[in-house]
Amino acid sequence: MIALYVVAVIAVFGVVRATLERNTGRKLPFVNVMNFAVAGALVLLLDHPLALVAAVAYFVGSTLEANAIASTYAGGDRRG
Amino acid sequence: MLGEFLHILAAAAVSWILFVAVDILFKLPEAGGVSGASAIARDIQAGGGALSGGTMMGNIVCSPDASAGTLLAACGVYVAGIPGGLLAAALVFIGNRICHDPGYAGTTGAVLATFVVYAFTLVGFAATDFIAGMVIAILTIQGLSHTHASRLLARLWRFRQ
Repeated sequence: MIALYVVAVIAVFGVVRATLERNTGRKLPFVNVMNFAVAGALVLLLDHPLALVAAVAYFVGSTLEANAIASTYAGGDRRG
Repeated sequence: MLGEFLHILAAAAVSWILFVAVDILFKLPEAGGVSGASAIARDIQAGGGALSGGTMMGNIVCSPDASAGTLLAACGVYVAGIPGGLLAAALVFIGNRICHDPGYAGTTGAVLATFVVYAFTLVGFAATDFIAGMVIAILTIQGLSHTHASRLLARLWRFRQ
């Protein structure tokens, strides 16, 4: 199970880089790396068919959050 | 043990080529899909990177693209073979719509990756090699050096143009 260890180490690496980065815009790609790694780790850890649904739900949810944070950081769409 | 590690590295190279090719084919470096993607691109450019490469990286952050499609298709093939990969593609399609992404890079990437990963499982690779390989591939773009990654993507984008 080298795959699981590779994915876990990359998740921790993403967290460390995101914590050390001061600029919000450049922080988000590091968080993105962590999201990829956690979604992969979920499937590798859970030996169940529904692990796929859990990984997709986690990944889409975290991407939507990153999308919301980035759009708020950008000032959002001005309406009206 | 060494064999599995080499499989993971080979899978990383295949995943990298697959997702970068699909993303560039679907013109992700051209424009930010949402305002947040453009903001990330500006910050990467301010740090010394290239704007078009940064835009593609911003789009990867803000919506499931071909890289997410490849990862989730590999997960799907691991769990349930080709039907699992195609289910992952359908879920990526729904994820794109949730994230206000009108494009089809994620869905296309997931469908292509399903068959690529399945083909590699027939020649001795495991689907888990591709899960770890895709995480390594995204690390090289989003997690090592934004400056160098965005310049490399910008160079590939100019080639596409």
